[in-house]
Amino acid sequence: MSAITALIADDEPLLREHLAAHLARLWPQLRVVAEARNGREAVELFEDRQPQVVFLDVHMPGLSGVDAARSMVGRTQIVFVTAYEQYAVTAFEQGAIDYLVKPFDEARLGETVQRLQQRLQPPVLATAVDGATEAVLERLAGELRGRAEARRWLQWIKASVGTTVRLIPVEQVVFLRSDEKYTLVVWDGGEALIRKTIRELADELDPERFAQIHRSVIVNLARIAQVSRGVNETADVHLNGRSEVLPVSRSYLHLFRQM
Amino acid sequence: MQATSLTADPTRPGFWRGFFSALTGKSVGWAIGLAVVAALMIAPIFVPPLPVLFGRTLFIAIVLLLAYTAAGQWRSPPLPRWVVQLAAIGLTAPIATLAVYLVSTGGDFHELFGNPARVTGFIMIGGAALVFGMVLALGGLYRERDAQANAQALQFALERETLQRQAADAQLKVLQSQVEPHFLFNTLANVQALVESGSARAAPVLGSLIAYLRAAMPQLHQGAPTLGQEEALVRSYLELMQMRMPDRLAFALAIDPALRGVRLPPTTLLTLVENAVRHGIDPSEAGGRIDIGARRNGASVTLWVQDSGRGIDEAQAPGTGLANLRERLAATYGNRAVLTLLGVDPHGVRVEITLPADQA
Repeated sequence: MSAITALIADDEPLLREHLAAHLARLWPQLRVVAEARNGREAVELFEDRQPQVVFLDVHMPGLSGVDAARSMVGRTQIVFVTAYEQYAVTAFEQGAIDYLVKPFDEARLGETVQRLQQRLQPPVLATAVDGATEAVLERLAGELRGRAEARRWLQWIKASVGTTVRLIPVEQVVFLRSDEKYTLVVWDGGEALIRKTIRELADELDPERFAQIHRSVIVNLARIAQVSRGVNETADVHLNGRSEVLPVSRSYLHLFRQM
Repeated sequence: MQATSLTADPTRPGFWRGFFSALTGKSVGWAIGLAVVAALMIAPIFVPPLPVLFGRTLFIAIVLLLAYTAAGQWRSPPLPRWVVQLAAIGLTAPIATLAVYLVSTGGDFHELFGNPARVTGFIMIGGAALVFGMVLALGGLYRERDAQANAQALQFALERETLQRQAADAQLKVLQSQVEPHFLFNTLANVQALVESGSARAAPVLGSLIAYLRAAMPQLHQGAPTLGQEEALVRSYLELMQMRMPDRLAFALAIDPALRGVRLPPTTLLTLVENAVRHGIDPSEAGGRIDIGARRNGASVTLWVQDSGRGIDEAQAPGTGLANLRERLAATYGNRAVLTLLGVDPHGVRVEITLPADQA
């Protein structure tokens, strides 16, 4: 009987060794032909060695295990390895995907090995590309990345102050005013010029928290103390704890109409 | 937008809305009631019958009420609002009375001012309107001021309660366990691997884990730790992480030994180091190094944690750890503590905290 080939992907070397050691004891015919330190390496090594079994850590730098798996579904037996990612475990159960929770004991690994051995019995039941599994992986991959993509609005403003680059959380920004081709950022800790234009900033900042009130001014709504009406359909914005008064031009006055 | 309803400026629709909401049934009732009383009082000495007199007093009362209410809607008057409102009464009373008399004389000024009886009537009704109007207006203003004072007291009470709740929330957040299950189980999996392979590293790694867990568990009665204690905690944490990612994490601590006695809010340094690992080193395939330091600068102490990891993406939501740390620093030092984030070339983040050093 020829050896079964396997790939182990985990960013933590001790855990790769540990899994390999247990597999050697429980499944002597299995030969670990490749070890990957991240999702990208896992995909590359998979294409190179075409292993019959793949153990994938879910949480890896760069490409996650779930992302890596999406290019392998149907071409190999996949087992996910995870530490306390409850949402992932739930998803795996829905898609009938095999998984191990770290730290695992040998009995649990033994069950996984048995299942794999059954599936690899000739004739190999080609794990027909199962639509449900693919859908689960896709959703899970989206969820893992989601935290990155759900954040659409600008959260930090990078401003050069002297020789350093300050990272200013937007909630500390009081207002922004255009200054020719630069924009002046005024925040709790000072003032700085940035290269972004008011127009770009108006697009990138969360409209729930910031409003453009003038062709050249964006204000943090949470910092407004009061708005007083001026002459000729204009108004002035007064700020909490600051002396600056910002103009509201006619076309933005509707923002402050009574609701 | 939440802010707009609080800071609304009355443009035209706002004026009418304020006008009609100020014109309550109660104020109209008072005007009608006083018009009846005034008509009854002057009826014995006036020639026209009571209904006609009542019609006149009612007209004047309503005009006065409208003038008073309209004056109250003037948002930025040159004089105090109550002066403007009283002036509106003083001005409207004779004009409204004159209007009533002009109607009754068919618009003939000579008929009005040539007839002594009518002049007396004009002065009496106008004077009564002036006096009643002023008294009522003062009463109304007084009640309004009372209501405003009440509203303000309520507002203060609400703000105080909100502040207290926020303080309690911040404390609760600190007390909640800082240990992430994902971190704990992954670390335990590594310890398991060392133990099962009979590695000599198992015992010291377990020691680091115990030190970390003890420090990171909620501490109810212990006060602010010293910088020396925080340094030991951070070292334990980094040793654990280095065991887990030996090829991706390097670190160095450069804390001036003279500063080890400085007290600071619990897990100040740990929060920054955990952030550097979680957001800087861990997501990066190549990893990076973390440098931690503390130095005295005259009357203040500067702490820093710098990583060469992935850096902050401009649209990356700030973690709750950093927000909580800011809150705790503000609660302890007010604005005498400053937390600054800096970008590092070519990639990475440096966080600096400046604290007053008088605790040393």
